[in-house]
Amino acid sequence: MGELGQIHQLVIPFLGHTIRLNLEVILMTWIVFVLLIIFGIATSRRKALLPRPMQVLGELFVKQFYDLTEDALDKEMAKKYGPLVCALFMFLVLSNWLGIIPHLEEPTKDLNTPLSLGLMGFVIAHYAGIKSKGFKAYAKEYFEPMFFMMPLNVIGELAKIVSISFRLFGNIMGGSIIILVVSYLTYSVILPPFLNAFFGLFVGTIQAFVFTMLTVVYISVQIK
Amino acid sequence: MDIDPSTFVHLAAYTGGGIAMGLGAIGAAIGEGYTAAEANAAVSRNPEISGDIFKNMLVGQAVAESASIFALVVAILLLFLDMSAAVYLKGAALFGAGLCMGLGAIGSGVGSGFPGGQACCGISRQPAVASQLTTNMLIGSAVCQTPAIFSMVVALMLMFMDFGKMPLYPTWAALVGAGLSTGLAAIGSGYGGGAAAGASCEGIARQPRSVGNVTTTMLVGQAVAQTPAIFGLLVSFILMFKAFPESQTLSASMALLSAGLCMGFGGIGPGIGNGMAAEGAVRWVARNTAHAGELMRIMLVGQAVSQSTAIYAMVVSLVLIFVL
Repeated sequence: MGELGQIHQLVIPFLGHTIRLNLEVILMTWIVFVLLIIFGIATSRRKALLPRPMQVLGELFVKQFYDLTEDALDKEMAKKYGPLVCALFMFLVLSNWLGIIPHLEEPTKDLNTPLSLGLMGFVIAHYAGIKSKGFKAYAKEYFEPMFFMMPLNVIGELAKIVSISFRLFGNIMGGSIIILVVSYLTYSVILPPFLNAFFGLFVGTIQAFVFTMLTVVYISVQIK
Repeated sequence: MDIDPSTFVHLAAYTGGGIAMGLGAIGAAIGEGYTAAEANAAVSRNPEISGDIFKNMLVGQAVAESASIFALVVAILLLFLDMSAAVYLKGAALFGAGLCMGLGAIGSGVGSGFPGGQACCGISRQPAVASQLTTNMLIGSAVCQTPAIFSMVVALMLMFMDFGKMPLYPTWAALVGAGLSTGLAAIGSGYGGGAAAGASCEGIARQPRSVGNVTTTMLVGQAVAQTPAIFGLLVSFILMFKAFPESQTLSASMALLSAGLCMGFGGIGPGIGNGMAAEGAVRWVARNTAHAGELMRIMLVGQAVSQSTAIYAMVVSLVLIFVL
């Protein structure tokens, strides 16, 4: 039980500061990248009018997420943000599933991954907002309903990053801690596979979807 | 204090374990009772498929029970933990862990009863979509458990992290406050998420073709309703991981304890309110699928406004931690 909350770090001194790299997270993220690239090649290699099973899988997947994006934004915007939404979901879902394989860990278990993805969504949403409304109309929203509400509106916006990233982090981290504790209590007999299926596959998929949908919804709130 | 550390830690662990299971038993039982009550109504409406309804009720109740099972795991760990090398601070951490898990299981337990009950009702009304209803119920009640999972994370961290080098005053207050913050804030969010999930099962039974829109709206609504619990989690993390300078004055300890209380109580209302907003949106998306986008946007804006009180609570508790 001692390994709870411990991580392997690579510490590099750099111009008087120290850079800390979480080695396991980086390695796991690269594994996810490689798997996604393999999936991409497998689905798009040998494209044909009469699709092969892998191509059908890829097309179904992409279509599903384009439709979701179109529902939340509009047709024009969906063309622009659809690829982002697909990529975000694929990365998250594979990251959350990775933990069910022994010796591999979810990259999303480290707060840095969800936090940086949340920050990315936040920046994109506000960029889209400024672009579609113009800076003046965008800035004016912060002074509503009354000008002195500005600091609280800003905190409210920043709190969105916290909530979106901690939701994913808390769920994945919580699942893995529960699996660890139950495995410890039952000496890894019988129960852990069911828990892995529930927290890894089921909760992992739902949370990846929630994260993706919230990113889309944040964009749609900003542009309208 | 004249008690030796080992006795004190045992005292705290037993009290914490009792509180964890005692409070943790409240929520799930109420939620399961609601599911069973609705299942009765469903069977009397459509007795031919009573087998399906009965099965669905049991599945729903099994998921609703998980919050209480988390509490049971924490309580058992608290009772049988090895506490040979103990200091006073460990006692505060264990007591906080018990409080956190016990309080945090209430909301999720009550909340995850709603989708189960509404799914039973929906199956009796619309047996053709039984499998979709069961899937939606499972998704809804799994997301409902998130606040309870947050409480369990904080409780286990309080139990297993090493606070050995921290000064007893005021860290004891920070650890108890960390437990209270997530535990209390999880009550509202768990209940609110359940309300949204219940409305989605009812909506799918009424308009089976709206299932995609309803499930998406439900998930977004529940996710936003969980935000107060996430603020609670954030405050707990700050209280656990920040090193506080030693101070014998009472005010330093009380500031940290009140920070946890402030965020905890401040999160209850917004969680329930956001859940109500999500419930309304989901209910009307099912009846008017064509305007799902509009409804979701209004829900989000309404939730953001009702969430502002949770943000006030978070600001006050951060001021209590960092300024005072």
